[in-house]
Amino acid sequence: MATTASFVIVSRNDIPIYEAEVGSAAKKEEAAQQHQFILHAALDIVQDLAWTTSAMFLKSVDRFNDLVVSVYVTAGHTRLMLLHDSRNDDGIKSFFQEVHELYIKTLLNPLYLPGSRITSSHFDTKVRALARKYL
Amino acid sequence: MVDPARTPLGRMIVEEISPVVMVLTTPSVEDACRKNGLSLVQMLSPFSSFSNIDVPVRTASDQPYRLHKFRLRLFYGADIRQPDFQSAKERLKNIVSQAVDEDNFQLHLEAPQIETLLNRSENEIVPTWFESFNKELIQTLSFSDHEAFDHPVACLLAVSSREDHTISRLIDLFNSNPLPSFNNGTMDPKILKRYMLVHDNHDGTHEKASRILAEMKSKLGPNDCLLLCINSAQDESVKPPEGPWSANHSVAPNESHLGRFLDADDLNEIKILMQDLTSKHIIPHMEQKIRVLNQQVAATRKGFRNQIKNLWWRKGKDDVIDTSDGPTYTFNSIESQIRVLGDYAFMLRDYELALSNYRLISTDYKLDKAWKRYAGVQEIMGLTYFMLDESKKDAENCMENAFTTYIKTGPSSQKNANRCGLWWVEMLKTRDQYREAANVYFRIPGEDPLHTAVMLEQASYCYLFSTPPMLRKYGFHIILSGDHYRKCDQIKHAIRAYRSAISVYQGTPWSHIHDHVQFHLGKWYAYLGISDVAVKHMMNILACRHQSKTTQETFMKDFLQIVQENGATFEVQCLQLPVINLPSLKVMFEDHRTYGMPTAASVKESLWRSLEEDMLPSTSTTKSNWLDIKLKLIKKYKDSNICVAGEAINVDVEFKNPLLVPINISGVSLICKLSVNDKDSDEVIQSHDDESSFKPTNSSDTGSGGSSFSLSEVDCSLTGGERIMVRLTVTPNVEGILKLVGLRWKLCGSVTGFCNFESSPETKKIHRGRRKPRGSPKDNLRFVVIKPLPRLEGFIYSIPERVYAGDVRQLTLEMKNQSEFAIKNVKMKISNPRFLNIGSHQSSNVVFPTCIEKESKREQMHSEADLTKVANAVFSFPEDTTIQGGKPFLWPIWLRAALPGSISLYIVIYYEMDGVPEVMTYRTLRMQYNVQVLPSMEVSYQISPCPLRLQEFLVRMDVLNRTISESFCVHQLSCVGNGWEVSLLHSDDAASLSEKLLGGQAMSCFFKLKNVRKSTSDDNKASSPTLTGSDLRLSSCNVNGALYDITCSPLADFHYSERLHQGLSLQGHPSTVDFILISQPGRGSNGTESSGIHHLYTHHSCHCSLANKSPISWLVDGPRTVWHNFSIPYTEIKLKMIIHNSSNDSASVQISTFDSVSDDIIPSSDTAPAQTGQVGWHDISLVNNITVTSDILKSPSSKCRALESVSPFIWSGTSSTKVILKPASTTEIPLQVCVFTPGTYDLSSYTLEWRLLPSHEHPQTKRASSGTCQGYPYHLTVLQSV
Repeated sequence: MATTASFVIVSRNDIPIYEAEVGSAAKKEEAAQQHQFILHAALDIVQDLAWTTSAMFLKSVDRFNDLVVSVYVTAGHTRLMLLHDSRNDDGIKSFFQEVHELYIKTLLNPLYLPGSRITSSHFDTKVRALARKYL
Repeated sequence: MVDPARTPLGRMIVEEISPVVMVLTTPSVEDACRKNGLSLVQMLSPFSSFSNIDVPVRTASDQPYRLHKFRLRLFYGADIRQPDFQSAKERLKNIVSQAVDEDNFQLHLEAPQIETLLNRSENEIVPTWFESFNKELIQTLSFSDHEAFDHPVACLLAVSSREDHTISRLIDLFNSNPLPSFNNGTMDPKILKRYMLVHDNHDGTHEKASRILAEMKSKLGPNDCLLLCINSAQDESVKPPEGPWSANHSVAPNESHLGRFLDADDLNEIKILMQDLTSKHIIPHMEQKIRVLNQQVAATRKGFRNQIKNLWWRKGKDDVIDTSDGPTYTFNSIESQIRVLGDYAFMLRDYELALSNYRLISTDYKLDKAWKRYAGVQEIMGLTYFMLDESKKDAENCMENAFTTYIKTGPSSQKNANRCGLWWVEMLKTRDQYREAANVYFRIPGEDPLHTAVMLEQASYCYLFSTPPMLRKYGFHIILSGDHYRKCDQIKHAIRAYRSAISVYQGTPWSHIHDHVQFHLGKWYAYLGISDVAVKHMMNILACRHQSKTTQETFMKDFLQIVQENGATFEVQCLQLPVINLPSLKVMFEDHRTYGMPTAASVKESLWRSLEEDMLPSTSTTKSNWLDIKLKLIKKYKDSNICVAGEAINVDVEFKNPLLVPINISGVSLICKLSVNDKDSDEVIQSHDDESSFKPTNSSDTGSGGSSFSLSEVDCSLTGGERIMVRLTVTPNVEGILKLVGLRWKLCGSVTGFCNFESSPETKKIHRGRRKPRGSPKDNLRFVVIKPLPRLEGFIYSIPERVYAGDVRQLTLEMKNQSEFAIKNVKMKISNPRFLNIGSHQSSNVVFPTCIEKESKREQMHSEADLTKVANAVFSFPEDTTIQGGKPFLWPIWLRAALPGSISLYIVIYYEMDGVPEVMTYRTLRMQYNVQVLPSMEVSYQISPCPLRLQEFLVRMDVLNRTISESFCVHQLSCVGNGWEVSLLHSDDAASLSEKLLGGQAMSCFFKLKNVRKSTSDDNKASSPTLTGSDLRLSSCNVNGALYDITCSPLADFHYSERLHQGLSLQGHPSTVDFILISQPGRGSNGTESSGIHHLYTHHSCHCSLANKSPISWLVDGPRTVWHNFSIPYTEIKLKMIIHNSSNDSASVQISTFDSVSDDIIPSSDTAPAQTGQVGWHDISLVNNITVTSDILKSPSSKCRALESVSPFIWSGTSSTKVILKPASTTEIPLQVCVFTPGTYDLSSYTLEWRLLPSHEHPQTKRASSGTCQGYPYHLTVLQSV
């Protein structure tokens, strides 16, 4: 499992709708904002890259020091972003695909307003379980 | 594509990579120069750049070309060495620090918007000091030994004409000053030397100088000597021509002294001298050297043979001393020479030649693993490619290569990487590759946080200028840069950086980012002592619910600290803490509607309206009445609400603490504005108020006595995540127009927050304002204040919160009017008459429940059941009732908990004001009480006719105690109505009844109910129900033992309500009966019973059906067993049928008998319902027949069949008899059967057809007017007598 892994789902309006620190390292306050900064900045790159390929998984698009940002763009242009320090492309890809599935399930919930924050604890548990499995 | 030389990088290269001239001087030369405030080098420097020197140059090729721009770099010999690291660092720091002061930062201004940022050009945004910083950074790396372009090309030796022995001085000068100590003499000691004689015109005439010059020329060679005459200007009062020095920043501060002794001739002379030196000495020298070196290189390295040899030979080359940096090369090694050749060619702009040489040397260095040199060559190759303006890719590759190699080589070369990076960046920028440039900036290693900060900032600008602009990257990098600035204490720069970032992160939903930026800005501003801005930033992060508790605490602590340091209390418009839930804003005021208690105000208006309907003068005119009167006022303030001076307006607003840490709020109050209007002009002439503008003043003066309104202040503290509802009041004291403007509160005693109601976009819920469909919230916060009016206060004493169902209590309603004006025409209406009953005035001073005991009844008022009280009608208090002057007015009221559940009782009191010629003529007081009623006893009755006697019924009463612990004693059972009499079935039942009924216990007992009504005519008269009835005492629990009179006031009234509720009509019907069970709490069952109060529980069951839906009942009477000697073939048996008509009409009854010969005549019970279902005969036959219980009811048909075998009997006598029965009368009809054989016979083979003869008194009775009844079994056994 990666020591640092920060997962965030960004809606098409660039609003983070789900955030989770899924790394095994102890959580630090400082890290949280740094991760946000890096992920936020990486959106600029994703913006360019997303239209150059038909694949949803963009692999690692950006890096900051030893932290790498991997991105998966859904058809609705929701971006699943993972900031990580391990190099495990296959695991990350599977992780993204499964989270995407979960996200679609969330979207199917008639009470969920697309683009709003995902507050479901079930979703959170599942994502963390996937992170443990793949990252 | 622009000419590379004209690009910023091109210009930089031309300036920086140019021949170096080493200058050696004697002290007297310096003295002469210093008169002008300049050193020799400084004096000459401005003249060593030439924009159009126009010198023909011929290097290796034979084709000459002309140089236009050229520059010489002059350095003192002592300066030609690698600059000191520390001092360089200091210089860089100075540049940054100075930049703070120069740049007037406008720290107080708002950060620029991102749009404006994007529209500006590069020069406007990027601070100008970056350029000088970069330049300085590059200069710290000059004179490195792995490159040759910083090595002096020539040496200029200067002596003064003042000195003796000029020649020897010159020789000494050269010898005593060693050549720059480039590593191991990589520099050729045979350097071009030129001698200069400096003559100070102050010291003497020109002749002396000429003489010395001639001497020098003869000794040192005629071409190598130069003469410079300075200080021609004698008088310093003559304003010297503007010298070029002032532009030079590094010179002494006192600029007015610069070059004061130099006149125009001197300047001209210097210029010519330098031009000569360049064009006639240095450039030719370089040309020549290039040619020489080129030949050497060509001889040793060019050509196929040399290449092979080089490769072969180089492999086995062991004689070179290896150091950590790779091999060392002396000046005369071929590698050094190639490098020098390349650099000279570069400086003379023969880039082709330079490039070919660099290529050559680069492979050599690589093979030798001389990485630093290799990187240096790659770097200059990149620049050469750039200057040639071809093969961008090659150029970038070279730069990349150089950059990575420098970094790889180790810390000593990192600075070179800086320079290389900067050049690379410039190269990329020139080609508009801003994104890549930013990347390179980011990669430039900063040995110092300051460098890193500057580089990151430049990187961020590159992101901004890239297309499309990468704003998020820009934001991130400028934040990083700000962070580094802070690390090296450049707070102002840090603030500048973060401020720029604000424009990117404005309103970002990325909460951590937002908090980080605002928090640090706040802290730094506070550090600089700019508290107001600091507070402004800190406030943005106060409501950070997403942060952890510790972070929230830190934010809060720092915020309060900043505020306290500032001393004064802050007043801020948009304080985020606590969160005010504006949609929850509820304004409660009283116009003509007043409220007895706060809860009443929250009841739906429609409910009150429906209650008030009957009382208000007229539904349509309730509003228009006073509208007419006050038309003028209304016209103007149509949308405003009305309130009365001296009566408080309550505003409920919800505060919420979004944090996990507790916060304190104090001094919460409303901000109001009251303007007194002049009636004549309808103009607002006077504005009281502390708040003509929204800038609020101290709240205390609004609360002061003389003010036109008074406000309440509330203090509260909120724990983490708590919400509280705060009630604020404002009481206007004078007439006018009151406007609720906003809300003010103080956070943690130091920061005052304001909230403007109107500014918020949400629509507020105005509770009970006039609901205008299109009324804006703004209007709803306006009130027209009218003169003080009397206001009735009312409440009910000691209304219990929870009671058991059936509990009857006496309560008192108290009404008070503090005003001097009287109130009259008081009316009252109660929402639920089952629960509350208005007593009569006389009963106010009686004791309950003794007052309703039968004994005391004699002298009691004769309670004519007041129908008006019952039928949901309005109760009017006596005409002479006036309430005024604070005297309480009491009125008895009865409470009976009719239904279990949580019950809200609504009471509306209407009153009119006396002597107040005002807009309002009446007001209403609305009261609401909530009572929780617990279930107590459940009583049900089942009545069946007594089979043995007409007009008698058996009653089964089932009582179930539904409470858990409470016990009850049944006291009395009354049946209502004058026609009934109830008694115990067995007298010994009384014993069981006298016991207490414990919680959860059930009990059944039987009663006999007898109809004692004599005639229908009485009944008709009494159809308006006077409650008479029979009472049966059931218990001996009550010590007094008195029976209660159910016909007197509260019980009777409640009974009517119950009847109304349970049945459709008030009218008593002969076939239904009402029971009232009165019980008392079991004495001593638990401690809850307070001794003083006698509780009484009544349970009313109304309209209990007598179960006989047919008005005709009959009974066949006769012998059951007959002995007969059947020697006589038949016997006749006489029977009689008693028929009773219980209806109020006369009935005609026809009895038809038929012999049971065939099955099809006797209907089986299965088919019976089909035939007689209309009149319900089937049901009745089953129930009526008491002897037949339900489980054997199915059997009649089988029984019939069994009897078939027996020879039948025949009815003798008339087969059909018809009689007319008077109302409520009984008649007897004789019947006869003939029996032929002994056996048991079922004499049910007859039918009764009855028909009511309608009378005119009751033209429409709801009941069936006719029907057919099947006879029910009557078994007759005939036995053979002996």
